[in-house]
Amino acid sequence: MDNIHFPIYSIVLLLTASVLIPLLNIEFKKIKLFLVSVLAIAWLLTLKALLYVYKVGSFTYNFGNWNEAIGVQLLVNEFSAFMSLFILTLSLLILIYSFKDMEHVINNHKLNDYYTLVFILIFSMIGITYTNDLFNMYVFMEILSLTSCSIVSIKNKKETYMSSFRYLVISTIGSLSILFGIAMLYMVTGHLNIGKSYEIISVAWQLFPTNILTAVGFILTGLAIKAAMFPLHVWLPDAHSSAPSASSALLSSLVVKVYIFSAYKILFNVLGETIVNALGIPAFITFFAAMGMIMGSVFAIGQKDIKRVLAYSSVAQLGYIFLGLGLVSTDGLAASMFHIISHGLMKSALFLSAGAIIYYKDKRNINDLDGIGYEMPITMLVFTVAALGMIGIPGINGFMSKIYLSFAVLGADKPIYLILILVSSFLNAIYYLPIIISAFLKESKERKNIMVLDKLPKTMIVPMVILALGSLILGFYPHLIMEAIEKAVPTFLQ
Amino acid sequence: MKSDENVKLSSRNNNLLPVKNSRFNSFCIDCIVIFIASAAIILGFITITNVGLGETVLKIKIDLLKRILYSITHFKYLPLFIIGTPFLGSLIELYWGRKSDDLRDVTVVNTTFISLILVLALYPQAINGGQILEISKVLGFGLHFKVDMLSFSMLFTTSILWLLVMIYSHDYMLIENHRSRFYFFMSVTYGAVLGTVMAADLFTMFLFFEIMTFSSYMLVSHCEHDDCIVAGYNYIYMGVIGGLSILLGGILLYVKTGTLEFIPMASMLQDIGPLKYWIIGLFVFGFGIKAGMAPVHIWLPKAHPVAPTPASALLSGIMIKIGAYGILRASTTIFFPASFEISSYKDILWIPAQSLGGFIIWLGIATMALGVFLALQQSNIKKMLAYHSVSQMGYIVMGIGVAVYLGYKGGMGYSGALYHIINHALFKSLLFMVAGVVYLQTREVDMYKLGGLWKKMPITAIVCLIAALGITGMPGFNGFASKSLLHHAIIEAYQYGHYSFKYAEIIFTIISAGTVCSFIKLFGFVFLGKLPQKYNNIKSNYRMMEMAMGGMALMIIGIGLKPDYLLNKFIIPAVRNVTYDPAFIDKYLVDINFFNSFDMTAMIWVYILGIITFALGIKFHLFHIQLPKWLNIEYIFFLPLLKTVQLIRKLMLKGNGVDNGELHVITEDDDDLANEKEGGLQKFVATVHIFTNKYETRIIRSDVVIYSIVLTSIMVLLIIFK
Amino acid sequence: MVEFIKSIIDNINYVASVALFVIGLYTVLTHSNLLKKVIGLNIMETAIFLFFVSIGYVNEGRSPIINLGGDKMLYINPLPSAIILTGIVVAVSITAYSLSLIIKIHEAYGTIDLNEIMEIKGEKSNG
Repeated sequence: MDNIHFPIYSIVLLLTASVLIPLLNIEFKKIKLFLVSVLAIAWLLTLKALLYVYKVGSFTYNFGNWNEAIGVQLLVNEFSAFMSLFILTLSLLILIYSFKDMEHVINNHKLNDYYTLVFILIFSMIGITYTNDLFNMYVFMEILSLTSCSIVSIKNKKETYMSSFRYLVISTIGSLSILFGIAMLYMVTGHLNIGKSYEIISVAWQLFPTNILTAVGFILTGLAIKAAMFPLHVWLPDAHSSAPSASSALLSSLVVKVYIFSAYKILFNVLGETIVNALGIPAFITFFAAMGMIMGSVFAIGQKDIKRVLAYSSVAQLGYIFLGLGLVSTDGLAASMFHIISHGLMKSALFLSAGAIIYYKDKRNINDLDGIGYEMPITMLVFTVAALGMIGIPGINGFMSKIYLSFAVLGADKPIYLILILVSSFLNAIYYLPIIISAFLKESKERKNIMVLDKLPKTMIVPMVILALGSLILGFYPHLIMEAIEKAVPTFLQ
Repeated sequence: MKSDENVKLSSRNNNLLPVKNSRFNSFCIDCIVIFIASAAIILGFITITNVGLGETVLKIKIDLLKRILYSITHFKYLPLFIIGTPFLGSLIELYWGRKSDDLRDVTVVNTTFISLILVLALYPQAINGGQILEISKVLGFGLHFKVDMLSFSMLFTTSILWLLVMIYSHDYMLIENHRSRFYFFMSVTYGAVLGTVMAADLFTMFLFFEIMTFSSYMLVSHCEHDDCIVAGYNYIYMGVIGGLSILLGGILLYVKTGTLEFIPMASMLQDIGPLKYWIIGLFVFGFGIKAGMAPVHIWLPKAHPVAPTPASALLSGIMIKIGAYGILRASTTIFFPASFEISSYKDILWIPAQSLGGFIIWLGIATMALGVFLALQQSNIKKMLAYHSVSQMGYIVMGIGVAVYLGYKGGMGYSGALYHIINHALFKSLLFMVAGVVYLQTREVDMYKLGGLWKKMPITAIVCLIAALGITGMPGFNGFASKSLLHHAIIEAYQYGHYSFKYAEIIFTIISAGTVCSFIKLFGFVFLGKLPQKYNNIKSNYRMMEMAMGGMALMIIGIGLKPDYLLNKFIIPAVRNVTYDPAFIDKYLVDINFFNSFDMTAMIWVYILGIITFALGIKFHLFHIQLPKWLNIEYIFFLPLLKTVQLIRKLMLKGNGVDNGELHVITEDDDDLANEKEGGLQKFVATVHIFTNKYETRIIRSDVVIYSIVLTSIMVLLIIFK
Repeated sequence: MVEFIKSIIDNINYVASVALFVIGLYTVLTHSNLLKKVIGLNIMETAIFLFFVSIGYVNEGRSPIINLGGDKMLYINPLPSAIILTGIVVAVSITAYSLSLIIKIHEAYGTIDLNEIMEIKGEKSNG
């Protein structure tokens, strides 16, 4: 490594940029290039860190050179570098999209504030991914929760206030549960550092099993609230549907996933596989995950607003990820991580194209979308590709994650979940197919069905198309990502 | 109900583009050239295969030509080229479609022709058993292609049929909108069909199967009217369910045996127990949905009348055969042992195949009966032909059943099924083309309203007669060969197997008589009799369509006069690839004499029975009997589900003080169970709507309550564990 | 019984913090006024901070100020107290943000009672 301070460069860069934006007080038009370049540089730095980790190995970084028992430690290994790269890629694409979209939604003088918040959001997400210290994770989670609520409420409409307030209250209760659990863990292990806790945890488990049980219960409940596991997902439809489209994309594809990363860390890096199995956690998680897969889709069928449909669909897809997590096997974990990435790509494509439709036509009800495929063919094509991936058509990455998940489920000898996965795919088809069909096949009431190209700004079309292309390429060549994931899984489970 | 549909269909088409008479333009020249060229190539192909490949190679003196031909026909990536040509063609067509109709159709016909040539070039590879082409890393498991003689027969039929239908469809599609979109999806479907047939493992087949389902959906829903969209919904949901069950079966198979290739697996599956029946049941169910097998055939009669005629012709001609191909492949490889593992036909490894085969035979018989019975009641020509497709697929499925049931001695059933696949493709698409021409000229699809059209459309009438004789099995036409093979197969089933198949044979004969009766009805009502007044001025001058139909009729007659060519050159090599007794094949199948007295007398009985039924039917107006509502299969099958959904709905609506306007509307429609437009799925969706409306806000408000409940339960669990 | 009461008194901090947590949760649950929900959240947060800080207590330890006398002393654990300062800051910022949201909600709906807000929302989506 060139410089021992390397890992924090990207983090500090993002934080500095977010502080600079309000300080500089430049008009929004001139700031776009600055924002994009900051993200691009952060992306390049993370890529360099990832390549270094692949070549040499993982390493830790102590802030201020304090010993990890009393200071904060960052862990840069195959998992955290890879996932930070994923977070930064998606954020870059969504950011480019949001330039034109946000001008439509909020006042000009608030745009700088919005981007400050977005940068702090990305900063905290990368922080959670890298951190190796429990309380540091809590602090980053709080920052993340605050900024994600604020990028919902920055749109000055009635429903955003109420939904963001509800999101805030529930999110805080969740964070408090997590903090309570961390406190109970600290009581028995005496360490806040993940690595050091792991060494002591088996001794602590012999001496104080009830403590650890309570701690895990609280932490999992808190994480379930924030990562929208059924039945604690109730804040998600309101929050994700009333937010502006770029924020919904960020929230749905990245923010909820980061909490799953912390679940990975706590369950596998702090507790370890034996304790997790002894506590009987896999049964709970897989049960609620399966309920989420089915009920999320059932609720989505009954919705009329297109963004609410997508929000409930997120609940169902998060069920898949939790199912992979709950199997506590290397196959399950790999399938879960693969679905995190493929769902991130597909859901952002869906939200961005829904946002483009709202931007151009100002219509959100799915019954009003007849014939829209002729006015906005590229947008609807992106939507179709992503929706077919959600249903599970071969050739798009959603299918591959279902296959990997099915093999993991069968490997853990629980065939009932396989049938649930397929039933859930069919339910997905019930609510996605009518949207696509009415967009391309029904007659629009306002104009004749002649195909014209979308009249959208290029900065909105290009990220959507890149996301759809990414889904297609990953669908045909999943090994591109699977190799990286298979290197990342051993950092949690052997 | 049926007359309403016909009224709707005819009235909606009054505002479409006027029928253009075909001008003699570049498209026509191109078509004629290609038609003659392909006829020549096919004749040359037939001669080469008749004489034998080795001897032909010897006769080629020019060394360079020999080497070029060798490298082309043994080109390893040829399957990819074959699949790629239609996909590439679809993009080119989309581009040309903006500029000129004719240019686009020329492209379509040319790409189909190129695919035909490439398919024919695969013959040397196929006859030698075929090599596996693997493209690794795609889709995680890699794609595998292999062309053996079964695949080659299907490819051969598909490409010839597609070429003729494409020549036909240029004139037909002038009455429809969005033509470029139609041709785009038509080419994508063609590529997907070719890919499905050439697949060497289940995964590749599944990929192309799904592509085929989704692109053919766009063909079915082409017209964009409400009835088309409802039929399309039915088609695609059943297609998705079929795909998912195939996927489930494939995943289970992979986990249990470690491979998805089509190799004999009976020994690997021996120790699994009842799971193997679940796996094969899922495959039969999934492929059976596509094949139009009862009881999941219900999408077929809905989809065919609403699709444009070229699409119906190909849907009935090729795509449902892919379902049968899937069942054939899956059952003859998964449940069959490898040839070196067994000694005789009584080996215990054959036992699972026996149970499976018996089940499939009865499914086939049920499908046959259902199809013909419902077909006799139809007045809409296309719907009748759709039900006949169901019935003929029943024949094919029965043949597959015998092929599996008799195990080692099942060669006859296999060849009967394969032969009937090829024959049915020919005459059914020809019948649909005839229906299309009739519709084009008269805008009428109700056969009771037509008559005496042989004067106006002589060529169409002759062609229709040839096709009807083919489907009913007149000696001298192609149906005779395959029906006699199937008849022999079912006789063998009760000779070597269970005695109850004697009744199956009786039903077989009755159904064939029913088919005869139905086609006498069709031909009589449409072409014979008196011409209604309003059709006095129609002129039949669609030369290209008549050329295409004529080509197909010539093939029907050709196969009918020389049935052993197909049998010996295509079907028997395909049968030899499967684990069947070679002595049996040599004794009973090779050089079989089709025109023997047993089969011909059986056919005469069938025809007499059919004519008697027709006479009785006309006299006692039996054809207008409508079955009571409750006998409709969809009803019986889904009645419990519908009732449950209704019950849930009523429970939720009870005691609802504050209704908004929407809820009231749903209550009124509730009791109208006869509202056929609302399929079971629509009712399910509406129920979910009510559920969401009522409960969603309450659930969202109680978020903290849910949290407290979860927390208290954790505490309770803690105390219990302590 | 006596040991039970004795053990409660020994761990009175923890018991109190759990009690406060439950009280805070009850407040958030039952009151429909949004301000009271925020107050409930604050009570919950205080409970957790109390819990965390009490972990740091070592029996008969002294305040963690370095004794330059050089004797080996038993100090209480300073780490939780330092950490909770960060936690308190986080709690304050969440309270500030939620209060500003309540002001905006009041501007938009005219009330800060949850039941009335849901009725207004229900009428809007129906009408």
